[in-house]
Amino acid sequence: MNSSNESGKYVYCIIKAQEGQKSFGNIGFQGKEVYTTTYKEFSPVVSDVMFKKYDLEDEKEIKVHTYVINEVMKKCSVIPVAYGMVFKNKKLVEISMRSGYRAMKKAIKIVDNKVELGVKVILPKDFEEDLKKTEQYKSEILKNLNQVAFDFKNLNLFSERLIMNTSFLVEKDKVQTFSDEVERLKNRYNFFKFQYSGPWSPYNFVDIHILSKQRGGFR
Amino acid sequence: MFLLDDFLLRALGISVPGLDFISTLELVKNLAYKELYNPEKVKNRIKENQMLYEFGEISRAEFEETKSSLMEQLKFIERFEEMNLNARVDLLS
Repeated sequence: MNSSNESGKYVYCIIKAQEGQKSFGNIGFQGKEVYTTTYKEFSPVVSDVMFKKYDLEDEKEIKVHTYVINEVMKKCSVIPVAYGMVFKNKKLVEISMRSGYRAMKKAIKIVDNKVELGVKVILPKDFEEDLKKTEQYKSEILKNLNQVAFDFKNLNLFSERLIMNTSFLVEKDKVQTFSDEVERLKNRYNFFKFQYSGPWSPYNFVDIHILSKQRGGFR
Repeated sequence: MFLLDDFLLRALGISVPGLDFISTLELVKNLAYKELYNPEKVKNRIKENQMLYEFGEISRAEFEETKSSLMEQLKFIERFEEMNLNARVDLLS
């Protein structure tokens, strides 16, 4: 891991502009304060940290990143920023905000007052699969959940046993209805295994790459 | 010496069936490497291992053991890709 003693600004997420500087407490990397700065109608949520490369294999640091976003999410809608976005100074944060401004305006409309919920459905071990029926059940599950959700994204089916791996964008006031629907479907299709997770920040519905084509930015 | 002969013959525009067969074998070998050292496949297995643990189908110990072995494989593949060991530049063709 590259590291130096230089200080930098780590950006966790972006929220709608707050009046004055808002603090979320000392919950950031190395116990640093998480606070907002302002760019037009947006507030990047940042910490003053050591400028270094944030390693994608460092689970502890990924957990800090996720934890901060989850804490911020409890209070306002967030545009999540990929793990590892650290900038050398405030000026560079502003430049990146300027370059991503239009995309952020679009993104905030999509994610405002919404959360991401994940549903995975897997076949039990040694399940004799009837492909036609499985497809039919899968489309029924998706159809029912989509009646409550605002949007959805089918994600990678990374295992042969995984028949559905979908993220749903759900309005905050519909989360309970969505959870009830998942519970109903779990009972109805009880020969499958369900995993329901969230609420998450809507990573799968906003995809803004600022000053970089790759995640894990280091600038 | 054998490779040198191959290069010289190709440079002269001469195709020898036996040597072409060797080139085909190399192609097959490279395809096999790509299949064997496919980082996406290993990443998928890492995710599957996590999923099976979350669904309670494997124990913490099994999960940790498989994860550590898969992470080793992934690191090896990444090093392999960085070094580009399976790529040989054919200067004469």
